Amino acid sequence: MKKLPLFMTALSVLASTVSFTGCSKTVKPGDVPGYDEGEQYLSMWVHTIEDTPEGEAYKKSVDSFNEKFNGTYFADIEFIPRNDSGGGYSDKINASVMSGDLPDVITVDGPNVSAYAANGIIQPLAELSDEEKGVYLDSIIEQGTVDEKLYALGAMESSVGLYYNKSILAEAGIEVPDKDNPWTFSEFLDILEKIKPIMDSKNGYPLDMTFPVGEASIYYYAPFIWSNGCDLISDDGLTADGYFNSDKNAEVFKYFRGLVEKKYMSATPVEKLFESGRAAFKFDGAWEVNTIYQSYSDIDLGVAPYIVSDNWDGGRYTPTGSWAYAATSKTENIDGATELVKWMSGVESGILLYENTKSMPSTYAAYEQITTFEEDENYKALYEQLRDYGRPRPKTPVYPQVSTSFQQVLEDVALSGRNAEDEMDKSVERINAKLKRYTR
Amino acid sequence: MKNKSNSILGMAFFGPALVLMTIFLFIPMILTLIYSFTDYFALNPKLTHFVGLENFSTIFKDELFTTAFFNTVKFVLIIVPLQTLGALGLALLINKVTVCKRYFKVAFFIPVVMSLAVVSNLWMQIYSPEGILNTILSNFGIDSQPFIYGADQALPSIAFMSVWQGVGYQMIIFLGGLQAINPALYEAAEMDHASAWSKFKDITLPELKPLCVFVFITVTIGAFRMIVQPMVMTGGGPSHSTYTIVYDIYETGTVNWEIGLASAMAIVFTVFVVILTIIQTILTKDKEDKHENKKAKDL
Repeated sequence: MKKLPLFMTALSVLASTVSFTGCSKTVKPGDVPGYDEGEQYLSMWVHTIEDTPEGEAYKKSVDSFNEKFNGTYFADIEFIPRNDSGGGYSDKINASVMSGDLPDVITVDGPNVSAYAANGIIQPLAELSDEEKGVYLDSIIEQGTVDEKLYALGAMESSVGLYYNKSILAEAGIEVPDKDNPWTFSEFLDILEKIKPIMDSKNGYPLDMTFPVGEASIYYYAPFIWSNGCDLISDDGLTADGYFNSDKNAEVFKYFRGLVEKKYMSATPVEKLFESGRAAFKFDGAWEVNTIYQSYSDIDLGVAPYIVSDNWDGGRYTPTGSWAYAATSKTENIDGATELVKWMSGVESGILLYENTKSMPSTYAAYEQITTFEEDENYKALYEQLRDYGRPRPKTPVYPQVSTSFQQVLEDVALSGRNAEDEMDKSVERINAKLKRYTR
Repeated sequence: MKNKSNSILGMAFFGPALVLMTIFLFIPMILTLIYSFTDYFALNPKLTHFVGLENFSTIFKDELFTTAFFNTVKFVLIIVPLQTLGALGLALLINKVTVCKRYFKVAFFIPVVMSLAVVSNLWMQIYSPEGILNTILSNFGIDSQPFIYGADQALPSIAFMSVWQGVGYQMIIFLGGLQAINPALYEAAEMDHASAWSKFKDITLPELKPLCVFVFITVTIGAFRMIVQPMVMTGGGPSHSTYTIVYDIYETGTVNWEIGLASAMAIVFTVFVVILTIIQTILTKDKEDKHENKKAKDL
C-alpha cells in the first residue's frame, strides 16, 4: 500500500516528461532502417495516411528515391492525416513553425504556396535548369513560382471539366465545339434554354451545379472571372479593391444569378442529378470521369471545353492546382531537398500516383506514357484543356480569405439574390483586413 | 501521521490529473488570454506584436462576428426550451410506461452515443430535397422544402436535429431524478385526491428542481458551443445563416491562421457564457430560495 503514492508520483512525473519531450529529435545513421553512414538525412511530411492508395504511391516513390540516391541522401517520409476541411496536417505545420520542428520537405496545397512563401515557411528551391523546368506543365511552374522564384513542384495536377450527357445533347441536336472555340456565356444560355424542356420532362435541370462551401467553389468557377478579363486580386496579390469588386466580376456573379432565376439549375443541391441522367451538364473535377465509368456506366459521358465569357481574349482560364512539394526554410540542405522535391514530383512518381489514384500527373512525359490520356477522349480532353488553358488560382498570401469570400458572394448573390456590388464590397473589406499584415 | 500519509496519497492520485490539466487546460487558457492581446499569426509567429485591445475592437466592428453571435443566440433560444422540456416530457412518459421500458430508454439514448458527424450526415439525407422528409411532405401535398439549403430554414432545421440528438442524455438524468422521488409523497397526494396535474406541479417539479437547473445550464452551454452540425451540414451557410461563434473562432484561427484574433473571440465568448451562467444561477437560485421560504411559511 505504501508503494502506491510513490508509484502515482512517478507516473505524474513520467506524464510530464513525456509531454515535454514529444518533439525535437535528431536522427542518427542506423536509427532508421536504410539510413546509412555518409548519407544526408532528409525528413519529409505528406498530407495523407499510409494506408491509402495515395499514401502507398508516396511510400513507393520515396523508396525508389532512396534506392537511386543510395549513399548520398536518405529520405524519411512521415504520414500525417488531414481531415476534410484541411485541418490536422496544416495544424501540425503551424505548430511546427512555432516550435521550429519543420522537416526538410513538406507538401503544400497549391493555393497556399504564396502564403507559405510570404511567411518564410518554405524557401526557394535550388536553381533548376530550363530543361528541368520544361519537364513540368506550365501551370505547375506558374503555381510554384512566387516573386519570380520557384518554391514548389506539383505532385499532381488537376482540372475541372464541363461534362455533358451525350444522349441528351444528341436529342436536343446540339454540337459540341472544339477546345479552342468554347461556347461563350451567351451561347451557353441559349443551349440551356433549348435543353430545358427536355430536362423538365425528365424532372431534372439542364445544369447540375452547386456552390459548395470550402475550396471547391473558387476552384470550379474562377474561370468565369478569368475569361471575362478580370481577376479576384492584383498580380502581386496585395490589392483586392478594384479587382474583386470590379464591374466585370459583378457581371459574372449576376450571370450565376440568372442561371438560378431561370431555373437552369436547382437552387438546392439535388444528389446525383447528372449521374442519374437528370441533368445535361455538370462542372466537376477530373475524378468525375472515373466515377462515371465505374459506377454510372449507363451515362454516355462527354467533356466539353470549359465555357468562356463573350469577351474572352483566348488567354489561359481553366482550373488547375493540387498538392505540391516544397523545401522548408528550416532545411540546411537545399540541394538535397530540391533533389527530393524533383523526384517526388517527377515523371515516375506522377505515373505511380496516377495508377493508384487516377489523379492527373504534373509532367508532360507522364501523359505521354499513360495511354489513357491518348486513347480515352474524355481524359484526353481534360489533359489538353489543362495543358493549353490551365491557370493557377490567385496567388496571394491571403488566399484563404479570397477563397471564402468568393464562395460567399456566389452564394449570397446567386442563391439568395442579394446585391452583387454590396456583397463584393463587403468581401473587399474583409480581404483588406487580412492584407494589412502584409502591406503595413 | 495518518492525515499526512492520506494527504500524500491524495496528492499522488490528484498529481497526474493536475499535471495533465495544467498542460492541456490551464496553460492553453493562459496562453489564449495572452494571445488575445497580440496579432499572433500562426504562419509567422516571429512577427507577433502586442496590440492591446485592437483585436477586441476589431471583433465588435466585424459584421460576421455579430451575425455569428446572433445566430448562436438563436440556436440557444430554440434548443434550450425544446431540449429541456423534451427531455422532461420523455422522462415522464418513459417513467409511466410499463412495457418495453428499457427499449424506449435505449432508443432515445442511442443518438447521444452516435458521433455528431455521423448524425449530421444522416440528417443531411433526411433533409435533402429528395430526402425522406420531403417525400413524406409531398404525400400530404406540401411543396418540397429547402430545409438546410434555405437561409430561413437552415438554422431551425439544425437546431431541431441537435435537440433530437441530445435530448436522450438529459432524459436519462431526469429519469434518474424521477425514480429518486419518494413514492410516499405521491401516495399521500393520492389520499388527498390530488389531480395528476397538481401532483406534477406540487411534487414532481419541485423535487426535480435542482436537476432542472443543472440541465438548463448544461444545455445552454452546450448549445452555445454549436459547431459540428453547421460545419458538416451547411458550412455555416446559406448566406451565413448557420455560422456560429465557435465556428467563427475555428475559421479565424485555423483557416485564416489569425490566432491572436481567434483568441480574443474565444475570450469574449467565454466571458459571455460565464456571465450568462451566473445570471441563470442567480435567477434559478432565487426561485429555489422563495420555494424554500414558502415551504417554511406553510409549516
